[in-house]
Amino acid sequence: MSTRPDNTHKFVRTHPSWSVWLRRPPVVALSFALLASYAVFLLPSAETESSLLFYLNINLFILYVLFCTGNVLADGKKPESLKMLVALALIAIMCWLFYRYSGAEWHRLREFFFNWEKLQGKWWILWQGLEVTLLLAFISGIGSVLIGLLVAILHTLHSPTLNFFLRVYIDVFRSIPMIVIMVFIFFALPFMGISLGSIVTTVLALSLGYGAYATECFRAGIESVHTGQLEAARSLGLSRWKTISKIILPQAFPVVIPPLTGILVAMLKDTAVASIVAAPELLKRARELYTSETNPTPLVAAALIYLMVLIPLVRVVNVLENKLGKKRSR
Amino acid sequence: MNDAETMIEVVDLHKHFKDLHVLRGISTTVKQSEVVAVMGPSGSGKSTFLRCLNRLEEPSSGHIYIEGVDILAPYIDINRVRTEIGMVFQSFNLFPHLTAIENIKLAPMSVRKLSDKEAVDRGMALLEKVDLAEKADTYPEQLSGGQQQRVAIARALAMQPQIMFFDEPTSALDPEMIGEVLDVMRNMAKEGMTMMVVSHEMGFIKEAADRILFLVDGEVVEDGTPDHIFNRTTHERTLEFLSKII
Ligand SMILES: Nc1ncnc2c1ncn2[C@@H]1O[C@H](COP(=O)(O)OP(=O)(O)O)[C@@H](O)[C@H]1O
Ligand SMILES: [Mg+2]
Repeated sequence: MSTRPDNTHKFVRTHPSWSVWLRRPPVVALSFALLASYAVFLLPSAETESSLLFYLNINLFILYVLFCTGNVLADGKKPESLKMLVALALIAIMCWLFYRYSGAEWHRLREFFFNWEKLQGKWWILWQGLEVTLLLAFISGIGSVLIGLLVAILHTLHSPTLNFFLRVYIDVFRSIPMIVIMVFIFFALPFMGISLGSIVTTVLALSLGYGAYATECFRAGIESVHTGQLEAARSLGLSRWKTISKIILPQAFPVVIPPLTGILVAMLKDTAVASIVAAPELLKRARELYTSETNPTPLVAAALIYLMVLIPLVRVVNVLENKLGKKRSR
Repeated sequence: MNDAETMIEVVDLHKHFKDLHVLRGISTTVKQSEVVAVMGPSGSGKSTFLRCLNRLEEPSSGHIYIEGVDILAPYIDINRVRTEIGMVFQSFNLFPHLTAIENIKLAPMSVRKLSDKEAVDRGMALLEKVDLAEKADTYPEQLSGGQQQRVAIARALAMQPQIMFFDEPTSALDPEMIGEVLDVMRNMAKEGMTMMVVSHEMGFIKEAADRILFLVDGEVVEDGTPDHIFNRTTHERTLEFLSKII
């Protein structure tokens, strides 16, 4: 066996490493002990009048909590189970701080936020709202995909004049807030004698607005197809349209689907803006109930319904994006 | 050779990319069943020349006659011209979302309106010819470079073109796969296909080519038989180039 040369001096640590030192178990234990005593002895009671010192104290405490927990969470060598425990503790401490010091009147929570009795026999109104929301999203989804596809295909003609106008469309509708588009169509256009109902207004605004985003998405997909594909197809005598429909689009779709799904989910969320123009969708119906019951529970219910519908969709988008990422990196 | 029909006639062809004058007045004639090798340094305009001939690039000026027809005339449907000219690329350009046989039958079905059965029959016969019948249902991704290029040749042949263009068909291949592709091309030459081949494969050119067009900076500096160009040329640029590639 040959002897190894001793080159330790080339690689040995020459600067002190705070992060290593801070993560030594005794140091971590000590800092958590300090944290506990801080909570018990130094934190003011909630009744103390709010002064600069009071806020300084609370903030210092929060910083210290973050320091202690962050120190554990950032340590690659600690087991995940311990990290989960620390993370839950962090959340608990934060909730407790909020509960104790925010000054909110907690006894009202039940009465105003989760007063389900108020909604008894009225859930159907919310479900009806949800139906309208989904319908609006569905029709506008089709509209924006069609617009996006059309504009993206027109873009492949590479006509500078045409591209200028397509660019104007895309930039204008990506720049105006959705709520402004809707308000303009619904409240301003009638002065010119064009009155569109709230449903038509919403579908039009969402289709045009999200069509602009869908366009960018389709364009990126089409551009991801190698130009050699186009040349091969054209050299076989395939027409422009056949080349697009049989060669370009089938290859673009797998690239387009994940971001497009993301755009459609964002559009589904934006249907809530339609409550401004009195489209009877979920948020609008919830707000009606809120007014008639003088209780915000319907708003909480609406938020929960949005969550229930959107969380699965958001997960789907995530899965699709990860799949695309894997495919690309292959 | 003199009584053979003229397949391609190019007269004073120019091509500009903005300020770049890439083709500077190329004139040549290719007869039926002739195999013409196009050689020249990188950037001399060989690819651009071929691509102008089927109008993948629009020529800036000049005339191109394919089978006697001026294909730059406004009444010409260029897609019909292209069905007469098969093209094989350096990077294969197979359609990755289609299997080998689907790659081959796509154009016969959607352009020539063949039925699925006719197209598959024709495609299988061609795959047989390039010795890849067992790979019919394989996606390009799972084929080696040499196999992909042979499928690409079969795809071009499926349109039953009168003329075949090859733009450096073996340049992207590992050395051990070059032979199998050149064999296919050699057979096509023997069967009387009219071919224009951009290539620097000396062995193949010596054996299969009837003529060599030697391009430098967008101009034909020499036009002669392989024997003449390889053994007896006195042209300075040609000698310089040949000394580099041998
Ligand atoms: N689409 C294009 N736009 C601008 N310049 C181009 C384009 N295609 C080719 N060229 C230029 O034309 C010249 C000839 O290119 P090419 O025909 O590919 O040469 P070769 O195939 O002989 O290597 C090169 O200088 C190249 O940069
Ligand atoms: Mg080239």
